[in-house]
Amino acid sequence: MRFRLWRLHLWPRSLAARTAVVLLLGLAVVQAAGLTIHALDRMELLRLAQAREVAARVMSVYRNLVNVDADQRAAALADMRRLPGVEVALSDSPAISDLPPTAQPERQLLRVSMNLVPMPGPLRPHDIQMLGGPFWHRLTVSLRLPEGGWLNVTLHVEPPSPWHSPDFLIAFALMTAAAALLTLWAVRRLTRPVSTLARAAEALGRDVNAPPLPEDGPLEVAAAAAAFNTMAARIRRFVQDRTELLTAIGHDLRTPITRLKLRAEFMEDDEQRRKMLLDLDELEAMVSATLAFGRDAKSTEPVSALDLAELLRTILDEAGDAWPEAAEKLRYDGPGHLTVQTRPLALKRALANLVANAVNYGGGALVRLTPPAPGTSQGGMSHGALTIEVEDDGPGIPPQELDRAFEPFHRGEPSRNRETGGVGLGLPIARNIFRAHGGDVTLANRPSGGLRATVTLPV
Amino acid sequence: MRILVVDDDREIRDLLARFLERHRIRVTAVRDGREARRAWTNGHFQLVVLDLMLPGETGLDLARWMRSQSDIPIVMLTAMGEETDRIIGLELGADDYMPKPFNPRELLARIRAVLRRAGDAGDRRTDPTARALLFNGWTLEPGRRRLLNPEGAEVALTGGEYDLLLALVERANRVLTRDMLLDLLRGRQAGPFDRAIDVAVSRLRRKLEDDGRNAQLIKTVRGGGYVLAATVERR
Repeated sequence: MRFRLWRLHLWPRSLAARTAVVLLLGLAVVQAAGLTIHALDRMELLRLAQAREVAARVMSVYRNLVNVDADQRAAALADMRRLPGVEVALSDSPAISDLPPTAQPERQLLRVSMNLVPMPGPLRPHDIQMLGGPFWHRLTVSLRLPEGGWLNVTLHVEPPSPWHSPDFLIAFALMTAAAALLTLWAVRRLTRPVSTLARAAEALGRDVNAPPLPEDGPLEVAAAAAAFNTMAARIRRFVQDRTELLTAIGHDLRTPITRLKLRAEFMEDDEQRRKMLLDLDELEAMVSATLAFGRDAKSTEPVSALDLAELLRTILDEAGDAWPEAAEKLRYDGPGHLTVQTRPLALKRALANLVANAVNYGGGALVRLTPPAPGTSQGGMSHGALTIEVEDDGPGIPPQELDRAFEPFHRGEPSRNRETGGVGLGLPIARNIFRAHGGDVTLANRPSGGLRATVTLPV
Repeated sequence: MRILVVDDDREIRDLLARFLERHRIRVTAVRDGREARRAWTNGHFQLVVLDLMLPGETGLDLARWMRSQSDIPIVMLTAMGEETDRIIGLELGADDYMPKPFNPRELLARIRAVLRRAGDAGDRRTDPTARALLFNGWTLEPGRRRLLNPEGAEVALTGGEYDLLLALVERANRVLTRDMLLDLLRGRQAGPFDRAIDVAVSRLRRKLEDDGRNAQLIKTVRGGGYVLAATVERR
């Protein structure tokens, strides 16, 4: 588990983050290599310069000592001891100290440098031994004097630093940070169209009339947006054609239904007339639902203030009038009043459809209205979403069919369907309306049995 | 009693004429605006049943013209569910509307109710173009068939409740007998009419925040009837 989290952490899911990680890793490698090359080069230079300086100093001490007579050497030695950072001593054998022998490349470099110091051949030291080095901050050079004995010169030497001052490192860090920020910004900017496209596809799934994508930006992005818009337009036309077909059929059916209703009035057999009128009412309800489905859910209805609590109670009253046998099982639970800005007729149709379903399949309805959470209220205007739940005690819907219930013309299993079922448009119409208002409706089986439709509406 | 029916479908015209004449209403049925104007000048009608979707001159134009000639009651036949048609029609001054396909008996009941309202001797019918009726802070808008509470939010009413409230408001401070109210609700409500009125009144009281036990706005009159006790302002 921990391992997986770590891996996820290292390798992010989002395109922008992945691109940024790759680019930043690359940047880090390049910067590190550059820094190393620079440091190695500088250290090489410093070593050369240091070797020359050390050689010059050592040889100058040596020369000064060799040039004086043997009896005055003690005095000269005392003089030289006053020089800062230099220890000078005479001994019979090469100096021995806790310093290890100097490394081969350094010894080589120093010998060459000392040979370059001009000096008459006979005076040159016959032998040179070295201990220590920059790494130990101290270097002891033992030179064999021409007349025997050794001169030991101990110098303080600094290891060569890869950079001159801390400012260099700070500048380097700033440069890296700037490059990293630029990378992040560019990556985000370049990958934004991808998420825009995803959002647009999601919006199209909810509403075919979602606004088109702006066709600008880089060439490839503009082309993708244009292709997406063309696809959306084709889908829209397809949906429109089908809807117009439905609406046309619905319109054309109204005249014959009216005629039949009038004709029924002239039938002699009362029982047959009553049954025929019932059939015609059912037919009319189907046509009415089809037309309502075909109509644009947003329609031209203006938005106005409405007491939603009173609307819900009125819908329940009307359901009780239409199905007197269910009247006892129609209940409202919620505040006495709740004013919202909405399209009253559309909202009433959507909510009445949910209540009608509850009564038809569950024999009753409990409608619960929950206002938006009070914490989200600001300056007298409430924000957030209210919820309306419509519950029944019916058999519910098998879980695998919950989503299909919103498909147009889908009807529940015949066993759960009463004789006077609708056309299967009640839920699609309701969902179209709620979504056109920025809300939604979902179905779920209640644990205690029955179905619950949950409506959310932004206010 | 003679009414004018304007509908472009011949079958519907003939059947509707036969149906209404069976119920002792004489009918002149015409097919479009031109014929309607000719019939208008030749005959005297108490009411017009007008289909909004006519060939040539639209039903709305015709209604506007008729309204300019007289305040004859108009019952519109609207396309089902076309709310905008309905609202425009009612704002234009139609007295009632029926969505097509209509139920013939319900249409008959509406025609009778509108005629009764129009014929109520000494009773001034609400000017159908009146935008709003104000009483006790409440606003009833006949053009849009809706009720606004004192805060300006719409309070939903069923069709029957609206008819009942409009009748009470139009005749404020006058007693409406049970018979008159029954007439209004006939064809609207299922179930026994007597109970329907009591139910509708109690729901109206709840919506108008009128205490049912001690009603101040819609008062019950001993002997059967109701009265709206309020001053009504017309706008």
